[in-house]
Parts: sequence; C-alpha cells; structure tokens
Amino acid sequence: MRETIETLSNNKELISPGISACVGCNVELTLRTVMRVLGPNTIIAIPPGCMGGVGVVGWNKKSGANVPVFFPLLDNTASMLAGIKAYYKKIGRDINVVAFAGDGASVDCGFQSLSGAAERNDNIIYICYDNEGYMNTGYQRSASTTRGAWTSTTPVSKEKVGGKKQHKKDFPMIMAMHDIPYMATASPAYIPDLVNKVKKAMEVKEGLAYIHVLNPCLTGWGIKPNESIEVSRLSVQTRFFPLYEVVNGDFKLTVDIKKPKPVEQYINKIKKFSHLSKDDIEEIQNYVDKKWNKLKMSCVEGGRNDEQ
Amino acid sequence: MMESKEKEYITSVGEGIYSINTGDWRINEPVLDQEKCKKCGLCFLYCPVFCIEKKDDYYEINYDYCKGCGICARECKSGAIKMVEKGSSSYAKN
Ligand code: SF4
Ligand code: SF4
Repeated sequence: MRETIETLSNNKELISPGISACVGCNVELTLRTVMRVLGPNTIIAIPPGCMGGVGVVGWNKKSGANVPVFFPLLDNTASMLAGIKAYYKKIGRDINVVAFAGDGASVDCGFQSLSGAAERNDNIIYICYDNEGYMNTGYQRSASTTRGAWTSTTPVSKEKVGGKKQHKKDFPMIMAMHDIPYMATASPAYIPDLVNKVKKAMEVKEGLAYIHVLNPCLTGWGIKPNESIEVSRLSVQTRFFPLYEVVNGDFKLTVDIKKPKPVEQYINKIKKFSHLSKDDIEEIQNYVDKKWNKLKMSCVEGGRNDEQ
Repeated sequence: MMESKEKEYITSVGEGIYSINTGDWRINEPVLDQEKCKKCGLCFLYCPVFCIEKKDDYYEINYDYCKGCGICARECKSGAIKMVEKGSSSYAKN
C-alpha cells in the first residue's frame, strides 16, 4: 500500500480537477487513479458514456484532460486505437494507447471491434468501467446488468414483478478466452491491486491488455454516496466479482476470499435489487458460487487473503 | 481563459482546460483532525476527486473541488475525519 501511495502522490493529475461525475462516483476515482499510473505518455479514447458526458473529453475548444483524448463512436473504440497505435509504432514511438470505456461500449456495442483488436494482437490497453448499464442516458439495461436488477428498460411493477431476466455476461472470461497476453478484473475498493494491474498492462508490448473494473453506480443503482467504496468492496468480499488476472493464459486470484460474505449483504445495499425475493437472491447466490468454483479450478495459485 | 486556480492542477491542451467548480456542490464538508490521524493514507486513496493531498508527513484536504461525498470520513478507520455542515468549520474555506 505504501508503494501505491508513493506512485499516486508523486505522479501528476492528468484529468481536469472539476468534472461533473456524480458526488462520490467511483468511476471518477478509477479514471483518476488509472491516469496517474499511466502518466503523460498516453493517448486515451473515451467513447460515449458517463466519463464522456462528465467533461473528460472536453467541451467546445477546451479539453478535460492533459493528454490527447479522443471521443470515438460507441462501437469503434478499439479499432480506432489500433490504428493510432500502428502509426506510432511506424514512427518508432512507444506510447500507451488506452481505452476507458463503459460496459455498453465494450460488452454490447463495441464488442466486435474489441474482439477483433484482441484477436489481431493489437497492442492497446482497454479498460472497461462496468456500471452495469447505460447509466448516463437513463439507466437502460446492458448485457452486463445483473439478473433481477431494476433498470428503466426492465421495470418492476408494484407487485414487485420484473427486473432483468438474464444473468450478467461474464465478460472478463470472454476476454480471457481470446488468449490475450493480459486480462484482469479490478475494483475501486482495492486500489493497490488496481494500480498493480495497470502497471502490468503497461508492460505488455505485444497484444492487447484488458482490465474489467466493476463500478457500482450510485445514482443508477441507488447507493448512498459515502457507501460508494463499501459497496464496491462487498462485491468482492461476497465473491460476486472475483479479483483475478490471467497472464499469458495462467489464471491467478489476486485477492482470495476465503470466507465469503453472503451475496445478500451486497444486494441489500442496492436499491435496484430492493424488490428481490428470497428465491431471487438465492438464484444469484447459486450463480455466484458456481462461477467462483469454476474460476477457482482454473487458477494456478491462490492470491493473498483479503486484508481489507 | 483558464482560471489561475485551475493552472495549479494541470496545464492546458487546446484552448485550456474544461473544468467546473465542483466545490460549489458541497452540502457537508470533511474536517480532518490531525491529532487523531494515523497517517495511513486511506482517505487519499479513496477520494474520487483526489482532493486529499499528501504532504511530507501528513495529509491535508484541499477544498477547492471537494464534492462533499463523505467517502473519506467513511473509509477512515481512525475516526479522524468528520463531516460537518458547509461553512461551519474554520478549516474549510470557500
Ligand atoms: S468528501 Fe469526498 S470529495 Fe471531499 S475530500 Fe472527502 S472523499 Fe474527497
Ligand atoms: S484515513 Fe484517517 S487516519 Fe488515515 S490518513 Fe486519512 S485521516 Fe488519517
């Protein structure tokens, strides 16, 4: 942790000090942290989504970042960056070419360009901030939304019937199965772990590095601002969102959860789940257990035990 | 035109930095009690706005852009940060 504090306090802030992310937004925290680690030798692309909307991509002739920042379409972020990287490679400059994209722009709309870049071994860093839906356009569901969740396109009746019917797409695993050199999951509640993973992604010089961050959305999911980190931490401590990495095909948990809390503790903190019945919660718990066991079987070694 | 306050943070690209005064949003604001503080740095790590600054051997809240979310107070394990009504403390300017 000391090393993380050193890194973050010594490195310059590269994002505008005043962006209009919601009060307590942990995506803002993730972006600022990631950018401090990446440093000024970086080009970023932020497709439509929360972080585009809050002003990081700029407004009029002003910029929201102190590095070149692109505002691609929702579905071409990875392919656009692949082209930029190819050019820099040609002129012999080694720079970080980075996407910071929401789940809509990665898991749904941007999937084919991302999958293509992964398959072609394009050397870019792709970071997905997963807040489980199209949050800045009014909380519509995405393929990444958790089963049972209320969204504006999966409404819930007064009788508490409704919510999303399908489970969350296991996107980190899908990216790992592309056999890219580096894939990791991360959480804003585990900053030293996130910082390590960004550093490892920067070391990849052949092929794509992918980091999937689960960012509970305060406004869209119904979470108190000061519980932003607590809820993120619970997503990990309940094994709902395991922290692991896949380096050249080898799976490893980076934070092992030996004594998981019941998923209910995570769910109870979030309004979008408030209509769920005991059975619904059990269904999610079973799914989480099944996923965890499968992941555990793939892991070559366990991570350090959760200290937080 | 870039405000001089913004210049302290980052330099401009294009015609300047787009930034809004998020310090205006605060309803409550954090107050850090240096006596109780164990200098662990958790508040620094979790402030989404990065407005807690690390000095040589202590941490200090910079109120310029603090949104008043209360995460720092919640995450501090030593109870060194309290949220108080905006303007009611002598620490917080603005
Ligand atoms: S209240 Fe929120 S924005 Fe202000 S210093 Fe604390 S964590 Fe940072
Ligand atoms: S979290 Fe609390 S104890 Fe730790 S540095 Fe901040 S104020 Fe001090």
